Amino acid sequence: MNADDEHWIARARDGDAVAFRRLVEPHARPLYGLCARITRDAALAEDAVQEALFNAWRHLSSFDGRAVFKTWLHRIAVNAALEQLRRRGHREVTVDATEGEDGFLEAVAEDLPSPDRFAQGSEIQRRTESQLDRMSSIERTAFVMRHHEGHSLEEISATLSLNTNACKQAIFRAVRKLRGALEPLR
Amino acid sequence: MQAINDNELILFHYRDGLDVSRLAEIEATMSTSAALRERYQGLCALLSDVDTAPLEPTANFEQRLWARLDQRMTEDMAPPVRRHPSWLDQIRAFLGSVSPLRLAWAGGLAAVLLIALGAGFLAGRNSAPTRIAGAQSNPSTTASRMLDSYVAGHLRATEGLLLTAVNDDGGDLLKGNQELAENLVESNRLYAVAAARSGNSRLADFLRQLEPVLIEMANQSASVSVENREGLRDFLRDTDLLFQVRATESRISAESKRSL
Repeated sequence: MNADDEHWIARARDGDAVAFRRLVEPHARPLYGLCARITRDAALAEDAVQEALFNAWRHLSSFDGRAVFKTWLHRIAVNAALEQLRRRGHREVTVDATEGEDGFLEAVAEDLPSPDRFAQGSEIQRRTESQLDRMSSIERTAFVMRHHEGHSLEEISATLSLNTNACKQAIFRAVRKLRGALEPLR
Repeated sequence: MQAINDNELILFHYRDGLDVSRLAEIEATMSTSAALRERYQGLCALLSDVDTAPLEPTANFEQRLWARLDQRMTEDMAPPVRRHPSWLDQIRAFLGSVSPLRLAWAGGLAAVLLIALGAGFLAGRNSAPTRIAGAQSNPSTTASRMLDSYVAGHLRATEGLLLTAVNDDGGDLLKGNQELAENLVESNRLYAVAAARSGNSRLADFLRQLEPVLIEMANQSASVSVENREGLRDFLRDTDLLFQVRATESRISAESKRSL
């Protein structure tokens, strides 16, 4: 934790709202990006950031400095994003998770290299977006945290309260579902 | 060498979750096997499709965010350390919504176990050889530190349990959570008794208040309804129980470090 953070945290803990704003303002946009990837919805992502920062304000006393402040804040934001999905009655499209337990990358490899595939870039992108929607919130969150945020499996496990194996499985299932983006193009 | 499956290839890509020797094996195979290289390229291409630019909010995001946040912070009048509503009362209210039969069973079991623990404790005291007076009145620092360390671990596991319950939309993780809750109920009781014996009534009270929630989670059936899951989430959200658990765990860890 840097000295600036320590300074603002100490003041914010004493109820200084301006100090709190100085502390969290640089994190607002990255938090939005994180929440938007998890919720797949701009309005929900904004609400999640709002809730995350409000929770951070209320519970700043529980931040013990063992983790980096940013990591602590991201952890709160991930849970706020998941909470938003639940509150808004988000219904997940379930896909049979047992289908093709392994070996799907072999099929992906068969698609490459193909000039057509690159020509179909925007179509693949659209299908990829659709597959991201089809992931469960836990799968998508684990994948976003690993792939986009670069968190370790250990950190993801701690945030989502999954054991490491369950966390690996969630990421595996997410990638396998992504593979579905290519299927119609094969 | 053991075959390299897709899951391992994904972990290899992130250089995470595999031990060093397995990473080296995959790397070595990659240099000799064209088929594996192709599979890996397929994975990289697949993942590159989701590497989009950072997601940006719509215009005036910060203004909207802070307008609402400032208002809420003012209304809340919450200094960061604030008194939470008495959640013991809320646990009682929550228990009111639990099936009486299940509650009676759980309560009966809890009572039997506590009586057994108490009886065992008294029997042990009566039959134990006379100890040095000083040693009886002052529990050893080492023992106290060990208790703190175990309780901190117990609270971390409890936090994990609660978070899984909150996040498990589909109920896929319920069985594992239920088994964990069953184990935690037992250890929770033991730690509560140990904390009370060591004079830490604050911790003992907190652990006792956790017990009904753990029992409820240990007794959730696989066919638990969406309403029940939502009820538990509402309860956890309304009571800030998760943060209470985290705060207690942090406090114990900090105290434990100070005593070193």
